[in-house]
Amino acid sequence: MSRVRREPGSNKKIYVLVAVFTLVVLLIFGVAKGKYQLPLSEKITMTILSPFQGIMSSISNGVRQGTTAIWEIVTVYQQNKMLKSEIEQLRQTQVNITEITAENERLHNVLGYKQAAVQFDLITARVIARDPSNWTSTIVINRGTDDEIAKDMAVVTPQGLVGNVVSVAKNSARVQLILDRRSSVGGLVQRPESRVAGIIAGDNNNKMMVRMINIPRDADIVEGDQIVTSGFGGIYPKGISLGEVENIVNDDGGLLKYAVLKPSVDFQKLEEVSVIVTSREAPPMPITQEPVLPADDKTAVTKSAGGSK
Amino acid sequence: MKPGIVWSIVLIISLILQSTVFAEINYNGIHADLLLAVVVSSSLLLGKEHGVAIGFFAGLLQDLASGTFVGMNVLSKMLIGYIFGMAEQKVFKEHFLLPLISVSLATIGNSFITAIIMLLLGYRFDLLNNMIYMMFPLLVYNLILAFPIHKLIYRIHILLKE
Repeated sequence: MSRVRREPGSNKKIYVLVAVFTLVVLLIFGVAKGKYQLPLSEKITMTILSPFQGIMSSISNGVRQGTTAIWEIVTVYQQNKMLKSEIEQLRQTQVNITEITAENERLHNVLGYKQAAVQFDLITARVIARDPSNWTSTIVINRGTDDEIAKDMAVVTPQGLVGNVVSVAKNSARVQLILDRRSSVGGLVQRPESRVAGIIAGDNNNKMMVRMINIPRDADIVEGDQIVTSGFGGIYPKGISLGEVENIVNDDGGLLKYAVLKPSVDFQKLEEVSVIVTSREAPPMPITQEPVLPADDKTAVTKSAGGSK
Repeated sequence: MKPGIVWSIVLIISLILQSTVFAEINYNGIHADLLLAVVVSSSLLLGKEHGVAIGFFAGLLQDLASGTFVGMNVLSKMLIGYIFGMAEQKVFKEHFLLPLISVSLATIGNSFITAIIMLLLGYRFDLLNNMIYMMFPLLVYNLILAFPIHKLIYRIHILLKE
């Protein structure tokens, strides 16, 4: 008699198990490559979970605010001194800024440069949940289709860009953070003499940092540079702060380098965000100088434009 | 109450806690995997069939709630549930070291499986660096949770038996 006696039907169970494993593997690659979609399942999960997540996150926020308040009382004296000196510095900068704004306005008028101040319609939302998985970085906010939130809207805080809306349910929406490894945002160096453009993507090695990738080796980018959105691609408006360059690393390939950025937004303490519902301006033009056309050409252009009417 | 309903409630509560309270207490964005600890403890107590089922649903909930790479956690948690379920007859269920050792092994296994899936999906990253940044904090968090979760799951298991 054999010592190991198989239960009747255990073979069948193994077949079922193998079949399920295979299906799951196919599902992973199918969904990830965008071949299939699971309709509604994600929205249903979000709709069911969001009220509970809302309650739990308010409780945990309350606890955290309590503990931070205690810490703030302890450090208030030191902070007060620091803030005073910062105010002094800011006052000086403000004087300079007023001068520069006036000059800028004057030069705009001289050039006939047309750029309306971008106006955003913002909807404030509360962060009710974070990503339960450690490989991706998303958050859930408490606004959805009822508040006219739609897919691909940009999400910001006063500090800078948070990410974009990737899926919307009735009363909640999922936002993919710029930290996520699938996220990619067009960015450029804010420094006027540089304006190097690159792609900002999640850092695969550190969840709290982002990388500006695909920069040529000889590009003018240094540590401490501020990076802002370039507005290319259409999802994100131009000029929203992304982060500061902390480190520049040469790519193994030899032609490119990448910069490791510290994001402007403190993602550890994300409680409230604003969703840009509408921005009242045509997609911003990249800063390039218009070619100066000879007088004859100019008339030709006007003529043809007039003729087409 | 039916065991299926009880385990579903346990999973949903774990998921909500994992996405709110435990996600707040994170280190560099890494937070505890409560669902993994639940899967490991319940498979050790109930065997491989239950392990596969609870692993499947825990993974599915996690994937749907995070809305990405659907199937990644289903696969890894199902495998973990099956492997630890096989050990059901061979372990001393009340020993205090059992949850600590099993959750450590499961965390390493789970990180490894998901890392391989990510690599196969075409995401390039430094595996060694990733282990230090992601697996080590995860291991610490999960170890802290392992014992209380095991106690809780054990109690639920006893209550359901009665």
